[in-house]
Amino acid sequence: MTGFDRRSVLKMGGGALAASALLPAHAFGQSTAINYWHTFTSQSEFAGLDEVMKLFAAAHPEITVTQENIPNPEFMAKVTAAVVSGSRPDTTMVASERVADLVAMAGLTDLTDRIASWDRRADFDDARFKSITVDGKVYGVPAFTFVDWMYYRKDWFDEAGLAPPTTFAEFRDAAIKLTDPAKGRYGFGMRAGAGGQAYVINVMEGFGAKLVQDDGTIGLDRDKAIEAVDWWAGLLTRDGAVPPSAPNDGFRQIMEAFQTGQTAMVWHHTGSFQDNAKLLKPGVEFATAVIPAGPVNKISRLGYAYNTVTNPDTIDAGWEWLKFWGEPDAAIAFLEKTGYFPASTAAAKDERISGNPLYKPAADTLAFGIPAPSFPGSAGWAEGVVLPAFQRVLIKEATPEQAVDEMIDGLAQAIG
Amino acid sequence: MISTTGPAYSPPRRSAFDRYNPLRWIGELSETRYWMYLLLLPSALLICAVVIYPTLYGMQMSFHEMRLNRPGLGNGWVGLKHYQRMVTDPIFWVSLRNTAVWVTSAIALEFVVGLVAALALNRNLPGSKILAVLILLPYFLPNVVAGHMWALMLDPRLGVINDLLVKVGLLQGYKAWFADPTTAMAAAIVVEAWHSFPFFTLLLLAGLKGIPTDLYKAADIDGAGAFSQLRLITLPMLKTIIAAAVILRVIGLVNSPDLLLILTSGGPGRSTQVLSLYAFQTAYKDFNFGYAGALSVVMFVLLMVFAWAYVRLSKVNED
Repeated sequence: MTGFDRRSVLKMGGGALAASALLPAHAFGQSTAINYWHTFTSQSEFAGLDEVMKLFAAAHPEITVTQENIPNPEFMAKVTAAVVSGSRPDTTMVASERVADLVAMAGLTDLTDRIASWDRRADFDDARFKSITVDGKVYGVPAFTFVDWMYYRKDWFDEAGLAPPTTFAEFRDAAIKLTDPAKGRYGFGMRAGAGGQAYVINVMEGFGAKLVQDDGTIGLDRDKAIEAVDWWAGLLTRDGAVPPSAPNDGFRQIMEAFQTGQTAMVWHHTGSFQDNAKLLKPGVEFATAVIPAGPVNKISRLGYAYNTVTNPDTIDAGWEWLKFWGEPDAAIAFLEKTGYFPASTAAAKDERISGNPLYKPAADTLAFGIPAPSFPGSAGWAEGVVLPAFQRVLIKEATPEQAVDEMIDGLAQAIG
Repeated sequence: MISTTGPAYSPPRRSAFDRYNPLRWIGELSETRYWMYLLLLPSALLICAVVIYPTLYGMQMSFHEMRLNRPGLGNGWVGLKHYQRMVTDPIFWVSLRNTAVWVTSAIALEFVVGLVAALALNRNLPGSKILAVLILLPYFLPNVVAGHMWALMLDPRLGVINDLLVKVGLLQGYKAWFADPTTAMAAAIVVEAWHSFPFFTLLLLAGLKGIPTDLYKAADIDGAGAFSQLRLITLPMLKTIIAAAVILRVIGLVNSPDLLLILTSGGPGRSTQVLSLYAFQTAYKDFNFGYAGALSVVMFVLLMVFAWAYVRLSKVNED
């Protein structure tokens, strides 16, 4: 009987292996594989990412992108560990408030020259690159914009004969009027659990307690900050216009409360539009408005999510992936799935955005909105000091004066 | 008579290959007292690499400035600076107090529930084998999954626990367990106890199987009731296992912030802030690895002192 015995199979296998080692890599049509860390969590975000990846795969078959979700609260811990241990991802999505810390720990790669010669650079305002530029070096490409705005129950406002509030005073008034604990309704869904620190800082700035002064110095005006904390906490402690669960309410809780008819207003960014629209009728049950103006400043945040290269070894493939997010088709595809605004000015002028009246407050906010204050240590101070101090006021463990003093001391330590 | 004189013995000359043959060299070494040290060497190196070096590195970090987001401060030696800061840091003291409450209450609850479950399973009632497997299920769940699951079950709007408590009349309305400082720690302790009581059940059940039944028969004859048998036979016979289980759980609880990180992030305010969570936040939110290292060293020392004192006080070694 003729056939292959074990020895001949081994010989052939060894020969084939040796021959394959001599062939150039492109003989196999080998593609470059890169991974992408992001903090997307909702179904709509994943759908948007999937859409962008499909478009990218069609445009760049030679590059394979693998996405990895890192939960937002753990993101900095994971990235820090990856940078320190030398096991960096190839590309990473970075929120603007995290840029300073990541650049300080040498976690991002300088892309200044590539961005300067990028043919789509003119599609982006210079302001879009401000938060990703440190000491004149640009470390990433804006992928999309989180535009802070307000979602409100249009049907409840109509029923009560109220117009959407434009100032803090009107906002408080509406929140009180729309609160009816007997019906399980509260005027406002305050986020004072995970992530709530951003709103405390925004309200303080709305009252005139700016964190980063015009000359670049960092500090808090104690009196104005106390007034702000007192007013913001008072929505729960005095007015009872927010759910009692507020001190532990994070993103999921405030959105669930709004979507299930327990709160009349909620502040968040444009990214929740599609999720709200799945449960409430846009324009009928809910509508959108610009965040009300504070007594001193009108503060609304534009948070940019940047795509960055974290591993310089795969920078060529990483750069292709980063800049693809700036293509209008990719930006609109992502918007349609998620509601996240394009960072590219050219894409934002697309009829699919400018023709939709529900997006108008976001377009208006783009004119005056500013990024959150960011400096090395700001994220840690906000989360580790501002939020617990504010929560202590909510649970009546501290006065606004004590909380603000705690914030000022913590700030001195963070930047000292 | 045997002559002892004669030509002197000379060992056969080794060839050059023999002289440098490593196998022969190892063979000769195996006859010496150094052989046992050689056999221990790989394990010793491994322990040094994965246990001693990281521990010492963590300790030396606590004496250095190490703020990843402030490279301008350098990595210089700062002596006891971080430890001095700790003395005046109110968050440290709150965290220390909360750690004591968290660990003591959770382990007491886990032990009691674990013991009851182990005693029940040891009775070999019908279905107890299936129950023994089912009872372990919570322990198989990762902390992250258990944390998110309980966060939903205790949710003030959609949580099934609130719904049940309202329906049976124990609550007037839905309660935000983790938003109230008087209930946040207690709720977290219940979640922790639910998750980890099977650890006690498993070890205590193994211990119960090893207690001779003759002891109980003799106690029955002497008229000892169930409680007396538990106090005078079962618990003393389980002493070593209880000591080991408690020490392991204390170490596990003191060092793992994940459940509290998911349920409360240390809030509201600082009401559920514990040392491990504070060290984690200091390292990965403030990027201050020097101070985080100092906090970890304090936790390490506290655990060492606890383990030593507990073993001494429980008199386990006297058996």
